[in-house]
Amino acid sequence: MTTTMGRTASAGHSAKSPLIEKLNVFTAFGLGIILAVVFYVLAAKLIPEDTDAMLIHTKHDQIILLAMIGWFIGFMVGIGALIGPFRWLLGKDLSHDENMFYAGKDLGTKRYFRYTTDHKVVGIQYLVTTMIIFGVGGILAMLIRTNLGNPEGGWIHPQAYNAIVGIHGIIMIVGTIIMITGPFGNFVMPIMIGARDMAFPRLNALSFWLIVAAIPPILSSFFLGGIMTGWTAYEPLASESPAGMDGYIMFICIFAISTMVAGANITATVVRMRARGMTWNRTPIFIYGVVASVALALPAFPVFFLSQIMSAFDRAMGTTFYNPAGGGSGWLYENLFWLMGHPEVYVILLPAIGALMEMAPVFTRRPLFSFNVAVMGIAGICGLSALVWAHHMYMSGWAPLLNGPFMLTTELISIPTGMLFLVLVGTLWRGRLWLTVPMASIYALLWNFMVGGITGIYLSDVPADGALHGTMFVTAHFHYTLMGAGLTGAIASLSYWFPKMTGRMLDRRLSWVSFWMVQIGFNVAFMGMFLVGLAGQPRRVEAYNAMFNRGNMVTTAGAYVIMTGMLILLFAVVDSWRNGIKASDNPWFAKTLEWSVPTPVPLENFATLPVVTTDAYGYGKAKS
Amino acid sequence: MSQETTHAHHEHPDVVGSRNRLGVILIIVADVAMALSILFVYFYLKGQNVNNMWLPAATEEVPETVPVSSMGALYIAIISGFGMLLNRYALQGAKAKNQAQLTLGAMIAFAMSVIGLVYQIQQMNSAPFTMRMGAYASCYYLIAGLNALHLALTAFISLGNWNRARLGLYKTDHWHVEIIQVWWIWMTVSAALGAFALSFT
Repeated sequence: MTTTMGRTASAGHSAKSPLIEKLNVFTAFGLGIILAVVFYVLAAKLIPEDTDAMLIHTKHDQIILLAMIGWFIGFMVGIGALIGPFRWLLGKDLSHDENMFYAGKDLGTKRYFRYTTDHKVVGIQYLVTTMIIFGVGGILAMLIRTNLGNPEGGWIHPQAYNAIVGIHGIIMIVGTIIMITGPFGNFVMPIMIGARDMAFPRLNALSFWLIVAAIPPILSSFFLGGIMTGWTAYEPLASESPAGMDGYIMFICIFAISTMVAGANITATVVRMRARGMTWNRTPIFIYGVVASVALALPAFPVFFLSQIMSAFDRAMGTTFYNPAGGGSGWLYENLFWLMGHPEVYVILLPAIGALMEMAPVFTRRPLFSFNVAVMGIAGICGLSALVWAHHMYMSGWAPLLNGPFMLTTELISIPTGMLFLVLVGTLWRGRLWLTVPMASIYALLWNFMVGGITGIYLSDVPADGALHGTMFVTAHFHYTLMGAGLTGAIASLSYWFPKMTGRMLDRRLSWVSFWMVQIGFNVAFMGMFLVGLAGQPRRVEAYNAMFNRGNMVTTAGAYVIMTGMLILLFAVVDSWRNGIKASDNPWFAKTLEWSVPTPVPLENFATLPVVTTDAYGYGKAKS
Repeated sequence: MSQETTHAHHEHPDVVGSRNRLGVILIIVADVAMALSILFVYFYLKGQNVNNMWLPAATEEVPETVPVSSMGALYIAIISGFGMLLNRYALQGAKAKNQAQLTLGAMIAFAMSVIGLVYQIQQMNSAPFTMRMGAYASCYYLIAGLNALHLALTAFISLGNWNRARLGLYKTDHWHVEIIQVWWIWMTVSAALGAFALSFT
């Protein structure tokens, strides 16, 4: 929600650049669908038929992948992503008026449906998209839990159940990766560091629209046989799965590009565009959380991207990267996948913890306890998270001699994690608590992350993992970290920054009801899951032994409580956005820069750029 | 926490150039991660030699997979190196406000990228195996494919660079050419890494 400025030169750029004004989300979907159909038809006609002599039949996958590439190209052309590069190529750089048009000046609500470069618009676009992703993933989660309500399962076909589990997994992972850096990293971060926009506004819009372009391929996999492999898409199982895997591959490839672009953009923004006087010691801790997250993602996601390109080649071109019959190796995939997969956990967690550390001083009216320890903790996690990937592969038989070292590095990561706990507890200690939903979320994070962290230590232990791997215990563990800690931080962020983003206060009563329902439901659901996991129930099964029935019933009941809480939160967000109490510029009396600008935030944030003279936590002297 | 200042609204070109340079370096970091992963794939599969299928022996239907000489990949690296030097020549021209040197360097650098791309495609088409013929063949096409992708991107960037030089857009600042030089350097290093890997068969 931003103000707009007078459109004094609109007539000029209308005459020069009609194409820019014509392109929007509708032309993107239209052109994307048209090119997908064209590519599909041409590929079906032109690609030679598979012969019986071929060991691997590839034509169907080639057609599906080409149609998805057609969709991708059409969508990006249709949204206007290629105008900037081609104008650069032609030496006809965008004029000031055209850049203002791209920034959404005077466009009202239409700017949310265009390739708009204003970071605040991109932040809102991310927020709504993340909520839609969680909505889809949440519906799939409820289907899973409802099916597991009785031991026989039964009302969902086993293959459909597998597809639901796979798509739920990957879509939720992507949702949690973007849930803080997307909405709040974009809307809040540039203002918080005293910048007028991101370093590369057009890349910012690109990173968002790439995610939109990635969603149809993953949803299409429902109609192409589903994802039968779970979210990890292990090889060579994935190569033997139906064409739904092509949707997964395309989804990940596009998402990885988006993550790389966003990572470069956010890092460059923070390094180069902080306000004068904002030294690293005066930079808010939330910024550290966001930068650490994207800095981890920057080298990690290309590895994931490559793993999926090779999967696509194995499926569509008959290469043998993962096929042992042709000299390939499933372990190769596992290595590439987890080289991304474990840093990715911290890509999700660090912004969430950073956000809650940012809120802790505001709601305790105390300085952040030991800023330097917080920074060291974040840095320690970043460093160690790149050295723990093989703890996911203890039982796969890859490099047994390395199990010990990987157990050690994994358990070492508890130390920097503990430092972040220390900072939060130290800040809360003897603080004058202002009990709001963000404040309560800090307690929720401490509890949930403690449970998730300690159970993680069990799983990092090779002998214990021998018994627990592949069980519901693992599922409960990572839900405690990603949902119990990560999503709790995201909901707290929504509650905290909602007034600045929308100009309205989030309904207090409803957000409290939602908070307690989600937290109680969450702990009921996943404690039940821990118990059945400890008793030996395997994950990714649609039917199970009757001895696990009680624990599963508890989990399903807890899941329904979470769902109710989330629906209440959704209602609170929509209702408050439309009819909520108007917020003042700084309703929390916080000291970071985003609260110093008016609400709604002007197009270029600051009339004159600020000079920072102290850190953001000057709430008085800390008392031990 | 803060006080207002009266900074000028428009930034100096050097500030913009410095920021853009960092952005490109960060994107190159992502590309480096991918290139190193490709080397990991190559040496991992070579070291494992699963079922002796790194370089499969001949069967009744399929001939033996014979590895290609790494000289082809090395030529790609050399062509990229020439392109890099020519872009540097253009950059020196831009710094010296020598329009003719800038345009000439940028034009020949573009030509080198196209020559490299055509040569890489020709190499892929003339390889004595298909990508289905074992792990080495798959990896060869992966490395060659990365080179081709890099060269295609370089051709696009170099064409824009030449065109902008021709139009006199670098008269006031030359940070675009400097940033393109960073990309050329990485392009050359990446091609050399590919050639290095392919020298181990």
